[in-house]
Amino acid sequence: MNRKKIGIHTFMALPAFLLFLIFFIYPLLRGIGMSLTDWNGISKANFIGLKNFIDFFKDKRAISDIRTTLLFALGSAPLLNIVGLSYALLMNSKFKGKSIARMFIYMPAIISPLIMGYIWSLLLQPGRGYIHHMLEKIGWAQGLGNWMSSYWSTMLVLILVNVWQYAGMTMVIYLAGLQSIPDELYESAKIDGASSIKQFKYITLPLLEPSIRINVVTNIIGSLSVFDVVMSLTGGGPGYQTETLSIYIMRMCYGSKTGYSTAVAIIMFFIILIPVIISLRLTRAKE
Amino acid sequence: MRKLATILRYTAIAFICMLSLTPFVILTILALNTPKKNLYEGNMFIPEFYFGNFAEGWVKSNIGRAMINSGIITLLSVALIVILGAMAGYAISRFDFKFNKGIYGTLLCCMMVPGIINTVPLYTLMIKLNAINTLWGMALVCATLSIPQAVFVFTGFIKSIPVEIEEAAIIDGCSWHKIFWKIIFPLLKPAISAVVILNGFGIWNNYSQAVFFLQDRSKHNVPQALSVYFQQFAGAKWNLMAATALIAILPVIIAFLIFQKSLMKGLMDGAIKG
Amino acid sequence: MKRKRLLALTLSAATILSIFTGCSSENKKEESNKRVTIKLFTGKIETIDVMNEIINDFNNSQDRITVVQEYQKDASNIIKIKFASNEVPDIMTTYEQGFVDEGKYLDLSDQSQWWDRLSPAMKEACTDIKSGKQYRIATNMTMAGFFYNKEIFNELNVSIPDNWDDFVKVLEKIKTEKPEVTPWFIFGSEAWHLGHLIEFIPHGYLKSTLGTVEAKKAMLENDKSKLRFGEADGPMAKFAEKMLELQEKDLINKDVITANSDNCVQDFVNGKAAIFSNGMWVISSLLEANPDIADKIGFTPYPAYMPNSEPVVLSAEDSGYSISATTEHKEEAIEFLNFLFSAENQKKYSEALKAPSAFKDVQAQWAPTNIVDEVNKALDKAVNIGFTNEKPAGFSGDDAGRMVQELFAHKYTPESFAQSYEKSWDEGF
Repeated sequence: MNRKKIGIHTFMALPAFLLFLIFFIYPLLRGIGMSLTDWNGISKANFIGLKNFIDFFKDKRAISDIRTTLLFALGSAPLLNIVGLSYALLMNSKFKGKSIARMFIYMPAIISPLIMGYIWSLLLQPGRGYIHHMLEKIGWAQGLGNWMSSYWSTMLVLILVNVWQYAGMTMVIYLAGLQSIPDELYESAKIDGASSIKQFKYITLPLLEPSIRINVVTNIIGSLSVFDVVMSLTGGGPGYQTETLSIYIMRMCYGSKTGYSTAVAIIMFFIILIPVIISLRLTRAKE
Repeated sequence: MRKLATILRYTAIAFICMLSLTPFVILTILALNTPKKNLYEGNMFIPEFYFGNFAEGWVKSNIGRAMINSGIITLLSVALIVILGAMAGYAISRFDFKFNKGIYGTLLCCMMVPGIINTVPLYTLMIKLNAINTLWGMALVCATLSIPQAVFVFTGFIKSIPVEIEEAAIIDGCSWHKIFWKIIFPLLKPAISAVVILNGFGIWNNYSQAVFFLQDRSKHNVPQALSVYFQQFAGAKWNLMAATALIAILPVIIAFLIFQKSLMKGLMDGAIKG
Repeated sequence: MKRKRLLALTLSAATILSIFTGCSSENKKEESNKRVTIKLFTGKIETIDVMNEIINDFNNSQDRITVVQEYQKDASNIIKIKFASNEVPDIMTTYEQGFVDEGKYLDLSDQSQWWDRLSPAMKEACTDIKSGKQYRIATNMTMAGFFYNKEIFNELNVSIPDNWDDFVKVLEKIKTEKPEVTPWFIFGSEAWHLGHLIEFIPHGYLKSTLGTVEAKKAMLENDKSKLRFGEADGPMAKFAEKMLELQEKDLINKDVITANSDNCVQDFVNGKAAIFSNGMWVISSLLEANPDIADKIGFTPYPAYMPNSEPVVLSAEDSGYSISATTEHKEEAIEFLNFLFSAENQKKYSEALKAPSAFKDVQAQWAPTNIVDEVNKALDKAVNIGFTNEKPAGFSGDDAGRMVQELFAHKYTPESFAQSYEKSWDEGF
């Protein structure tokens, strides 16, 4: 590659970056400034240094929220990847109704989280939801039970709902990746006598590396920042049991602890950063 | 053996589709019931095929205008995201200079920043730009939020396109401009379709930003119109809510179908040429 | 060559941006010469239509002022962002002590044309304790208490007594004689509802025994000797004790943590729930769900649950309006409010809201007659209390409600609940 010639093409990333600078980085820097104050959104802000950060780790509710958020992500992110990849593999062949099937699987992700919230409560409300009544008619009234009665069952339902709703997005990226793999590679492998499993291991997986990277990172970030699914299903409850960090931040922001909420957001950034860096290192291109 | 595999495959696909469709089916059943019917008495699965809910929902929720608003915002944003994102992805993956790397790193880092940090300063900024209550202002904000992920996707994909094609074009005397738009961009079709699908619907359905930046009812987008309608009229009237929600989903589904087909087609051509 | 290209691109982008900016500021200048636009910011969804009607009438009746209504679902949250960005609406329905202290609202004390027409009790309710002035004006009253199904009660020949222990016995009777009916339906998935129970019952005890003004002072000053939140025999602990007792004895719905207000309305109109706590704002939903229920709706105060106390009923302000202290259109805002507060408009508003007007010269049929009678009876019988507007900014009604959720989820004993509550209250300042 003749890289020595510098021209307008080397700066092609600038427009995107400029947009980002104005509408994201500039507000972000001002926001970071807020984290060092005790601003409550109304009166004058006073500089308090790192006190917000220290207070965060002393708050029992905050620590419990970290636990909930991490648990949720630990269940949701890998599951999203596995399910998404399986869907993509299933969908990656020619068969009748392929586009329709793909659309169906993706559809849960295109509904506004607002509507999904209503739908979920309609479907899953313990003792009153649609699914409960359906099971009752079949004679299995205990089927759904009160899934909100224990922490673990609530978390499980939340994770499953999240995976169900967003596996389609993971699938789309894997599909795009799968379809960029030239057919000739598979054909020559078949001619050489390689089994499907061998093909998967030596052709598909390595060439899917960019998609895997994208999905792993996106899913980690998305699962750790989960807000809508939890808010609409449990509101973080009962009490604060299933409250996640994003919900905590929002409540602090509007609850007169605006400066503090910015500090928590920064902490959350680091909580997200660490797994992302780890996974980027692990999926580094092995050329 | 082969037949068994195919049958299994079809069954699995059918099952997954059914699973994914459940809420929509239930929404449809609800939407087609008369308002008076209690959902759980009588037959839960077969509705009464009453279409009045749709008409009432359409009129009262003003969702037609909301859809136009959502549409304009989405189109503008997606255009920006794809063009700027692909350009950036190209620069970053082909021209390995420090500042390009810096841009990539910054964008990636910012992807992990929780959105709420920006709320107040961004709102103040938008006021200064007179961008509140404007569709283009909302489009800029939405585009900004999606740029990091788009750049991430495009960079990854462009890296996996072999450079030989471009090198051949350079030898032939093609300008970079031509190379990008005539050669690379078409090859990016799967990535473009992924980015459009992944971000487009999120923008159509954006609520958290719309709440701040689209305040007039005339500028409300789809989720806002629905939220106001649900609160105002429907209350526990699931039939009306379901009907309106379905109306809101319909254009999205149609767009999805159109997009899927045309881009998958382009993809096939690209693969054969390559 | 290429640098020129880059320059051209940047220039054109900047030009486009400035055109847009220019366009909108041009419009604004033109407008300020002709009409004044004032913004009304509201979180009240139930009166959007009637307000739109009144606003349109106002806008059409003259050509100097245009009023624009902005509705937001989470108005009390959004208004904080607006204040923080200095983009404050001229008139707003959101009111918080914190904003009062920071001087964000216009002093309305001298608007005698309004105060003269309002009941003295309402003026008092609108008065800021710290300064003695009024920074908002409320046009309606709302009440809250126990709604009960008269049919069931007549059948069992019971009524809701004045003290809590007898109240529990009534609930038990309902449970034994009508096992498929929930005696007291609590929709605990909505934190605000549980927060209200705290504001009406334990806080109600404080307000009724200390008196309104003293109670407000005690809360603002966090006077622990009077509030006694953390004590084992204080109002909070006793409240928690009573709630747990009801849960253990199965006198409230089993799905208290997951039930929502729609469930409550449905069960009540279908005769599956005998009692529930709520305010006038629920009447529209009840009547819509089942118009025949109108004459079966009974209303009664909350029984006294602490020794030496009396039953309480909420009689508080609703539909309050404040003007921003920094508004550039003070006269126009007041002119609009004068129009809004006319007897004719308030009658319309009252009937749409289903709550009585606070203006002395407004006669509105705000609800079916028998409900109005029930409510008036309750108001006469019990001590009238208000909302707890003096709670700490960092400990909202929702936060308190979430603590009650945890209580129902068996995370607290009455004593630990009381202590946690006190701690959260202290930290909220």
